[in-house]
Amino acid sequence: MGSTELILCAVTVAALDICAMVLLLCAYTDKSASKKYWKHFTGDMELAEQGCAYPLGCDEVIIGRHASADIRIPDLSVSRYHALMTVNGGAWTITDIGSKSGIYINGNLTKEAILRENDIINIGSHRLVFRKRRDKK
Amino acid sequence: MYNPLSYVLSCLFVLIAHAAMLANVFINGNYESVTDPAILAGAVLLLDVAYFTALLFFKQTSYTIDFLLVLVLNMSVIFQSSFGQVKFDGDAIKHYITAITALIACRIGFFACRNYKSLQNKRKFIYIAIGVCIVLILTLTGSRSMWIQIGPISLQPSEFIKPLFILACATSVAEQQKKHKVLLFNVVYENIALFGLMAVICLLQWWCADLGSLPTFMAIYISGFLLRICYPKAKLSKKTYITAAVSLLVVAVIAFKFAPAYVQERLHADIWSDTNGSGYQQSQALIAIADGGWTGKGPGNGFLCNVAAHENDIVFATVCEEWGLLYALMMIFVILIMLAVPLINPPRSYYHATMSAGVCAAFTVQMALNIFGSCNMIPFTGVTIPFISAGGSSMMVSGFMIGMLAAAQSPILDNTGGQPRTAQRPPVKQPNKRPVRRKAV
Repeated sequence: MGSTELILCAVTVAALDICAMVLLLCAYTDKSASKKYWKHFTGDMELAEQGCAYPLGCDEVIIGRHASADIRIPDLSVSRYHALMTVNGGAWTITDIGSKSGIYINGNLTKEAILRENDIINIGSHRLVFRKRRDKK
Repeated sequence: MYNPLSYVLSCLFVLIAHAAMLANVFINGNYESVTDPAILAGAVLLLDVAYFTALLFFKQTSYTIDFLLVLVLNMSVIFQSSFGQVKFDGDAIKHYITAITALIACRIGFFACRNYKSLQNKRKFIYIAIGVCIVLILTLTGSRSMWIQIGPISLQPSEFIKPLFILACATSVAEQQKKHKVLLFNVVYENIALFGLMAVICLLQWWCADLGSLPTFMAIYISGFLLRICYPKAKLSKKTYITAAVSLLVVAVIAFKFAPAYVQERLHADIWSDTNGSGYQQSQALIAIADGGWTGKGPGNGFLCNVAAHENDIVFATVCEEWGLLYALMMIFVILIMLAVPLINPPRSYYHATMSAGVCAAFTVQMALNIFGSCNMIPFTGVTIPFISAGGSSMMVSGFMIGMLAAAQSPILDNTGGQPRTAQRPPVKQPNKRPVRRKAV
């Protein structure tokens, strides 16, 4: 194979390489668009406790003591899998998934409830506030 | 259009990549007259422009997977048209049509899987569809042949089980919490159903003598099992891990011990001792890879096109020979990027996450089986490389599965059809105020 053909081969591979890189960059820009859509849809909420906040980044969030729970509260008053938070039609719902101590929303024991902004959720001995996400400064 | 700049840049660079490939075909290719590569160039660029225009009519959050798909499909059209000699007729046109079918299947997959909540509710239809495929395999195909012939079209029903099985394996966390007490155990009925389904598929593949597809199904099941079916975040306990690994090992040893004669033969084959018999394809494939070197012999200048199944089972070696190892690796790299998009922009729902993991597992295993089989690292399986190998059923199903990935990138979250209900506290009702009567002093 002559040098011209070799250069052409190199150019072809480089063109494909650059194209793949551009598409990867586009995937990164799409990420911010998808984040924006998620925020718009779910109201960009979080669960906050004294000193820490748990963002709600996906449609099914498990709260519990187990290491595999999405929001892990390492406290014996909390069951391994205590509650499940789901989002449907833009509204967050909390469901008790067989916990021992139950869930209290604004002081009322409940099995399932639609959450509203600034609701106070008592899980075991922990008190969580359901609120709009605040940026850390 | 969400991001016009991304769209324009993606279109431009995909066109540049294809134009560079076509220039390589013009200069280095082996063709009878200039009209052959000219027709090929026209067909490839026309498909590019048509798909870019069609995309404008679909409102999506992300288009990256679509651009990668059209990039890979037209690469494959150029490869398949230049095997042996550059020409756009017969098999090349057939492959071009299957590429268009794959694009249509991708759109169908996208629309079918966008709203995961409706899919989850229609779970029983997925099981029914798998049942229908199994019945078709049992009655119309089987150990005699893997294809159903309908006029000029031949369909492989076992391919269609793959996306359905992925959908069946995709299970949300909420579903996993529905446990039922059976004797002393808390069980999820769906997990038992999926395990049963996997066992049926294993037996079916055994009976059909199509054990090459079995690792693909196993990969789908294991990814689903690890991600969702067992625990919410796949952090299994050590005991479960060890039990699962040991049982898998025992099953594998038993399977190898009692494998059919043709599998035993392939497992213990020495391709260099029988280069004209059972080792013919693999030995020729290895010679072709070595012959092609880094930059290849040029499109249409290879000899591997004279070997059976050069366009599907040993397609990696054929590309290596004509286009070079560098280009073949880039081709694999582009497919891997397509599968890596869910890692860059992770799906927001567990159902879509499991679905994406299933698709990625299936494609990765298929590619590995084909490439390592061609390079004699593992026994020859006859599994295709998605989108690159020729084959209608495989292309259609692969297109549908990429549509599933694209659906996970641009999901419908609001299934109420209206504006999102923001979690605002409703206005507190004020008690009716009555005018206070002042007592007359």
